[in-house]
Amino acid sequence: MVEQQVEELLKGRQYDMPQRDKEQLLISLLRALCRSMADNCAPYGRFLERLGAPVEMWRRLADIPPLPVTMFKHFELCAVPPSQVVRVLLSSSTTGSSPSRIFVDKTTAFRQGRALAALLKEDIGGSRRPYLVLDSPDSVKAGDQLSARGAAIRGIGNFASSIDYAFRALPGGELSPDFAVIESFFANHGSRQPLLFGFTFIVWTRFVLEMEERGLTFGASGATVLHSGGWKKLAAQAVSKAEFNSRTAAMVGCSPETILDFYGMVEQVGTVFVDCPAGNKHAPAFADVVVRAPYTLEPVGTGEEGVIEVLSVLPTSYPGHAVITEDLATLIGCDDCPCGRKGSYFRFTKRVERAELRGCGDTFAKSRERL
Amino acid sequence: MRVTRFLPDGKQLVDTITPLAEALDKRRPALARVPIAALLELFDDFSRRLLQHPDTRTLDGVAFLSNWLRKSNLEGMLRLNLRGSKEFLDGFLPLGSLKLAAKPRGLVSMWMAGNVPTLPLFSMVSALLAKNVCIVKLALENDEGMISLLTVLSQSEAAELKGSELLQFVTVVWYDYQHQDLNEEMSWAADTKIMWGGAAALRAISALPRKEHCTEIAFGPKYSIGLLDRKRLERSGGLDAVIAAFVRDIAAFDQRACSAPQTIFIEKNSRLSLRQVAELFAQHFRRLPPKPSLDFYTTVRILNVRAEWALDDQRDVIASGPEANWTICMDSAVSMKEAVQSRTVFLSEIDSWERILPLITPKIQTVGMVFGDATDAEAFANQVTQRGVARCVPPGLMNGFESPWDGKLLISELVRWVSLKG
Repeated sequence: MVEQQVEELLKGRQYDMPQRDKEQLLISLLRALCRSMADNCAPYGRFLERLGAPVEMWRRLADIPPLPVTMFKHFELCAVPPSQVVRVLLSSSTTGSSPSRIFVDKTTAFRQGRALAALLKEDIGGSRRPYLVLDSPDSVKAGDQLSARGAAIRGIGNFASSIDYAFRALPGGELSPDFAVIESFFANHGSRQPLLFGFTFIVWTRFVLEMEERGLTFGASGATVLHSGGWKKLAAQAVSKAEFNSRTAAMVGCSPETILDFYGMVEQVGTVFVDCPAGNKHAPAFADVVVRAPYTLEPVGTGEEGVIEVLSVLPTSYPGHAVITEDLATLIGCDDCPCGRKGSYFRFTKRVERAELRGCGDTFAKSRERL
Repeated sequence: MRVTRFLPDGKQLVDTITPLAEALDKRRPALARVPIAALLELFDDFSRRLLQHPDTRTLDGVAFLSNWLRKSNLEGMLRLNLRGSKEFLDGFLPLGSLKLAAKPRGLVSMWMAGNVPTLPLFSMVSALLAKNVCIVKLALENDEGMISLLTVLSQSEAAELKGSELLQFVTVVWYDYQHQDLNEEMSWAADTKIMWGGAAALRAISALPRKEHCTEIAFGPKYSIGLLDRKRLERSGGLDAVIAAFVRDIAAFDQRACSAPQTIFIEKNSRLSLRQVAELFAQHFRRLPPKPSLDFYTTVRILNVRAEWALDDQRDVIASGPEANWTICMDSAVSMKEAVQSRTVFLSEIDSWERILPLITPKIQTVGMVFGDATDAEAFANQVTQRGVARCVPPGLMNGFESPWDGKLLISELVRWVSLKG
């Protein structure tokens, strides 16, 4: 029954459901999913027992006790036998800290792929496009472990008609642009609505600035550039989102409106939040966001800032149904975004200050600083 | 204008510290002429007014400050600090074959921490009692409580001294700590530097250039603990009051004072399990009012520690509810837990207090201790103070600023002992 409902959510339109309907649907699904997760993952069972109201008391999504995202660094949170784990996703980790380890079984992996395809389809269309990965092939090396960067690159690869990698990895992990590949990609595919994806800080420092320095522009007017990762290092360099979009667009040759930032994390692969045409982020049908106030942890009102919690019905092998991050967002509104999408919508603001750095872009920046 | 000067009637912007320091320096002889009895009378009046004035009576920690300022308390403190007599501050007194006097060091520059709103008063009053003029650099730009405290002090009076006159000997400022030139001006002006704060702040302030004779008094980052011993736990009478007192120590200043207990060790006993002791703590936490607010960082830290303890089968946790009001974490690990603060306490069950001795270092400031037997209490205090602990006190008194503090008799370090022979 639950599986069927999740399947229906993945099949349907992603941004059409009013918030109230979606909340009713998701809370009933999440009650069942969290109960089952508690039965199969003993630490999560203890967590719910010790810190939450009984599952049957949950009336709102905000009633579900959120599991802090850093717990995936400290505990092996797995709800299936090792033989059923098909992949372990690893977060980027800053120096001295352990990465998050996310245990993915076949069902979860399948749903994550389906979910990402379903929601990106609404942002970039369903047709396959030439794909330039703004990263190195090393990021998606075969194996049973995959980094956050690799997972995102692979997920977007489902929309690719061809795949090229714009960078080479140097010893020590630095990335160097492969100008031959880049120029050849745009020469061959520039007019065929190419798709580009990379982590925000890498896109800026290794792609935009390097191409600008060489005076290269590509005239790819139909291109879409997807990027993800922290703004912290860019903000430190006084690069605003508007400047990032306009300079990236000018170099690629596309419209700034097709430079799309998305918010996501390795603990919720498949559940990403892409900028809508109005510049807001919406949750897809199979997931939701609760922006929680400090201290009370109650959902904030419109216009208020809070801690981002991501809820999702996708995982079956790890307790990722309600994960609270160390990121802040402002809740912009609900069901009335000018773009026409329903549900509550938000804008990412910043990481919680003095919290541990998270995100691939930040890790990269840190290593560059050391050099 | 980079410097905000705090005055009883509001704030004033100035650009540098040196003219303020020079003005204070000129007033040193006038302060030296004020009899110590007049200072004590004035602070006694200030003490009463603090609890009456609507702008100060609700400030965090003001009740304790008021008690501390009482004439009887300050007199006792001076006796302890000044070889038995406060009169050394007013002139030479015979002591054996010598005549001795306690003279002010001069100008005291003090860099305050932001964790305890009333802290600048303890530091400032100590300096003034030793008849030093002082510059107080606050940690927070919007320290409106300080304006209220200065206002009430300015309105206080004694027969020979008015508060408004005393404030001529003090300058309270704030500026961004990154202004190195202002820090240097404050440091150069000082005959004594008092530094309250974290390790990085202390290192930076200590590294500032200073006069050759300038002395330094550092109150650095510290960690405090509690201990409930087996014999006391075996006896139920009065235990509730003991735990209530611990909870008061935890709740004061949102547990940000270096004297606030973070980890409390509970000795194994035949009457109460660790969980039962935690439930007793929970009963008292439930009576606390909600916190007025909380920052995102601390909120997230509380969520993280709750989850970390809840997921672990070797640990346990009791929390106020979804809101980040209070949290009790329990385990049986003999370790000091990283302080989360804001009503987050770690209860660790141990076989015997001797197990924690290897953990005791000079980093531990205060131990709130409860023993069923006075001999055991003294044995414990001997051992932990030998290893670096500065204070062993009953719960309820952990945050009470007193002399000695951090192993120092502050006022005695704020005077120069001078002699007269023949």
